[in-house]
Amino acid sequence: MFFLHNLERTVTLHPSYFGRNMHDLVTTKLVKDVEGTCAGDYYVIAVMDTFDVSEGRILPGNGMAEFTVHYRAVVWRPFKGEVIDAIAQTVNPHGFFAQAGPLRLFVSAHLMPDEIKYDASATPAQFTNNADMVIEQGTHVRIRIIGMRAEVGDMWAIGSINGDFLGCLQA
Amino acid sequence: MAKTVRLGNRLRYPITVVRLLKQPGNKIKKQEPLMEYSFKWVKEVGDSIRGDTWEEEQTTIVNWASPSDGELTNWHIREGQKIVMDRIAMEVVEECSHEIQYQGLCAMCGKDMTEVNWATETRDTARAPINMVHDHTNLTVSAIRAQRTERDLQRRLLESRKLSLVVDLDQTIIQACIDPTVGEWQQDPTNPNHEAAKKIQSFQLDDGPSDLARRCSFYIKMRPGLEEFLKTIAEMYELHVYTMGTRAYAQNVARVVDPDKKLFGNRVISRDENGSIFSKNLQRLFPVSTNMVVIIDDRSDVWPRNRPNLIKVSPYEFFKGIGDINSNFLPKRHDLLTSGSAAKGTKKDKKITSEPVAGGDDSTLLKQQAQEQEREFEKQINDRPLQMLQEKLDREGEEAEKATVQSDDGSESRASSPPPQRHHVLQDDDEELKYLQEHLASLHRAYFAEYDESQASQPASNNDVLAQVPDAGRILSDLKIPVLQGLKIVLSGVLPRGIDIYSSEIGLQIISFGADLRPKISKDVTHLVVNAAQPGRDKLLEARRRPHIKIVSQEWLAACFTQWAAVDETPYLYTSRIVGEHGTAPGGIPSEEDEDDDDEEDEEDDDTDNADGSGSKTRRLANGKPLKLRLLSSSANGQASGESGDDTDLEPGLLPDELPDGSSSPIDGLKTFNWGSADEELAEFLASGSSDDDEDEDGIDDEEDEDEDVDDAQPEPLSANDSSLLTTSPTAGTKRKGRSSDDEDDDDNDNDVDTVAVETGGVNGTPAKRLRRTQSQRASSLRNEYVAGAATATASDRGDDSGLPTPSRSEGQDGDTDGQKPAELGEQEASGEGDDDELEFDDAELEAAFEAGFEKEAAELEAQMVADAALEEGAMDVEKG
Repeated sequence: MFFLHNLERTVTLHPSYFGRNMHDLVTTKLVKDVEGTCAGDYYVIAVMDTFDVSEGRILPGNGMAEFTVHYRAVVWRPFKGEVIDAIAQTVNPHGFFAQAGPLRLFVSAHLMPDEIKYDASATPAQFTNNADMVIEQGTHVRIRIIGMRAEVGDMWAIGSINGDFLGCLQA
Repeated sequence: MAKTVRLGNRLRYPITVVRLLKQPGNKIKKQEPLMEYSFKWVKEVGDSIRGDTWEEEQTTIVNWASPSDGELTNWHIREGQKIVMDRIAMEVVEECSHEIQYQGLCAMCGKDMTEVNWATETRDTARAPINMVHDHTNLTVSAIRAQRTERDLQRRLLESRKLSLVVDLDQTIIQACIDPTVGEWQQDPTNPNHEAAKKIQSFQLDDGPSDLARRCSFYIKMRPGLEEFLKTIAEMYELHVYTMGTRAYAQNVARVVDPDKKLFGNRVISRDENGSIFSKNLQRLFPVSTNMVVIIDDRSDVWPRNRPNLIKVSPYEFFKGIGDINSNFLPKRHDLLTSGSAAKGTKKDKKITSEPVAGGDDSTLLKQQAQEQEREFEKQINDRPLQMLQEKLDREGEEAEKATVQSDDGSESRASSPPPQRHHVLQDDDEELKYLQEHLASLHRAYFAEYDESQASQPASNNDVLAQVPDAGRILSDLKIPVLQGLKIVLSGVLPRGIDIYSSEIGLQIISFGADLRPKISKDVTHLVVNAAQPGRDKLLEARRRPHIKIVSQEWLAACFTQWAAVDETPYLYTSRIVGEHGTAPGGIPSEEDEDDDDEEDEEDDDTDNADGSGSKTRRLANGKPLKLRLLSSSANGQASGESGDDTDLEPGLLPDELPDGSSSPIDGLKTFNWGSADEELAEFLASGSSDDDEDEDGIDDEEDEDEDVDDAQPEPLSANDSSLLTTSPTAGTKRKGRSSDDEDDDDNDNDVDTVAVETGGVNGTPAKRLRRTQSQRASSLRNEYVAGAATATASDRGDDSGLPTPSRSEGQDGDTDGQKPAELGEQEASGEGDDDELEFDDAELEAAFEAGFEKEAAELEAQMVADAALEEGAMDVEKG
């Protein structure tokens, strides 16, 4: 789910950038630093604006200036139970990996409808029910997240296509 | 699925179960109390400061928390029960067995497996330890799951009558290089390499291992015939890529080789997913059974655990001198079979020494190796080795041309346009895949023939289909073993000294093809494989003397390995001379024939001589009397008297330099030697007696140990022709007498003397030779002692040769070696086994003589010692006084 989230971050600026457009530079640096990263249990998708940039304080010792920036950002936090669209990346006998933006999900063969079976002889390998549902590399799939785990820089999720309106999207 | 849960080791046994809090049928959760138990313990109470303490037994009641989720089905303990040690407490049916896990999440129920819980002793992540997916390391499965998956795979393969083939990339099916010269050659139609370079494909890595690797282009040359090969093979095998390159590299190469992803699909595994940076392991992909897997790789050392399944191909070297661009991540190779690459190997050697040994910190090591690779890349880009090679070739070509032009017409200058036939570095003349395809096809045939047979013999239900899956590794070795079976191969100059040939790469391969690998040249050796660049001297010389040994270059071996056939040796015969070989007859044939069989003795005599030498030295020190080494060697030789034993530098070519200036060459006699008659004699002899010799040789050796003593002196069968040969010996002998006696080389030659004599007489005089060999083996034990005595005797000026307890016959023998050989001796030899009895008799006599000599010597020694002791005592007395 997407949120507009107020966040705070300290940005340091090298003395060579000190000058009139210092605040612009601070914003630029902020955007470069945080956009597209995973901060715990959400991804920072985009920085909307900075609404408060504090006065810079010179750090003793190295002359860098430190700013505390308050900004608004669009963040994406996947939730357990949420249904998202993803693209299948690789298929193996145990299930398939799918990518939903920055998040990588794994859908195990247990969490698929019973009629969907792994077919290794197809090129490329696929999960199929021999009818309308064919999941191979590049297929768009709708997945329900059933488990998540986050570490410092990354998140992983387990998905399921066992349910109504889940699974292959092209059909 | 019911799971049994144990109480755990952490409880303070013995315990008593007080109350069961849950009943069968109840849902339980982790950390939930399931029962109460009590245990007794001793507490120290009282005033510890005043020391007024006593112990009191306490009873405590505690809860036992559930280590597992699920539904309790059955208790294995009851209330009031006393439990003394860890045991099964209950059965639980779990909702999810967490068999597939993705990065710490159960892929079946979505629970976090990394949670650590005080109630459990094992972590949930340990329940799915096996990583068997090609392209992800973070997807793991349990053993049961792996087994099931693999069974499905095998069943599917059997149905489609396929096997799995794991294919290496670098230097096996492609060669990659990053030399920008290749790109330039591709652009330049005038370049001589343009034709070859046209077929090279290139890509850039967008997520290369380093900045540098990202910027440069990788040029990929497919092995000739690769597309055809893969297409054919894909019908019989399911193909997997297993490379030590990075994932991006592997995928790009796979795209080049297989643009439609029809062959490999996504069955690509690279260094990034391998788990080990030193070796490849089939268990990474096939954790349960490798029965249906075959590997093709140009290196076998990276497959330490899967050698039986490996078909080693010769490395593909299109970009000369580039090698494997991903080799930095692998241990150094020393299995190269082409002599040309020897220099490269040594160069690498140096580099490798700086590398740390395996087992260090993997991440730092990996980093270090990545840096190494980067350096290598940089070097390749800057140095442009291919361009240099081409320039060198051009230069050489020009020079050659200049030379020819000038010789034709000195005044004419060279044509202004570049010569039409410029040499080119890139040559595309590799045929490996053709053979490989045949091998793989025949392996496939053999495999399914066996499978069908086993199916027919006992039609199996679906379940035990897999129990009777034949082992591809075994079938592979069954196919390989007949290839060189029966050949006995000696290596020379191929491996560095100090490497165990049996565990070396080449050695293992030779053995895997069924040939017999020998450390030394002996009579039944059939092939000597030499490194044409630096042939080993000794073995080559020995082999030269035996015409039946084919001396071939390494390329012969490589060709055999490639073609799986004992290829014709003729193109690979090694004929060039080596330093110090002059003196051999042209082509080496006559003299070789001449000395055919004696090498073995040389070697062994060598050893014994050394042993004798050292032994006698120490003995001399002990006795304080000088011993004559010369005598030792001569007696080892055959009890010939000092003179006759010594004087035998008849070995042509071996030690020509040692002849004193101005003296006549010891092989002068050979010049007048009648080779024709020797040949005839040889033929005759071979026809008559050689057939049974080989058979009984081993068995008889031991029995004849006794005989050998005499045999030293055993007259050699000499024909009349030999007289000319033998006449040289006295002169040589007299000359050599003056030399220092501890010269090992001389000993060597001394031994050769009589062996030469044997050979000239009747080549393959096997009985005599056999005897001599056993003799020389024995020489280190009893003989040494005896000899020491003899030597002392000589030293103490008491003894001429009479000190030697030689049986009376030896007189005559001495005479023989000196050149007067009675004809009867030849007869004796011819009679073969008949003389053994006689020998035995002599033996007894000789032993008696030994004994006598011994006792005499011992007595003398003792006397000497007593005298010494007395003297010393006297001296001490004097001091005391």
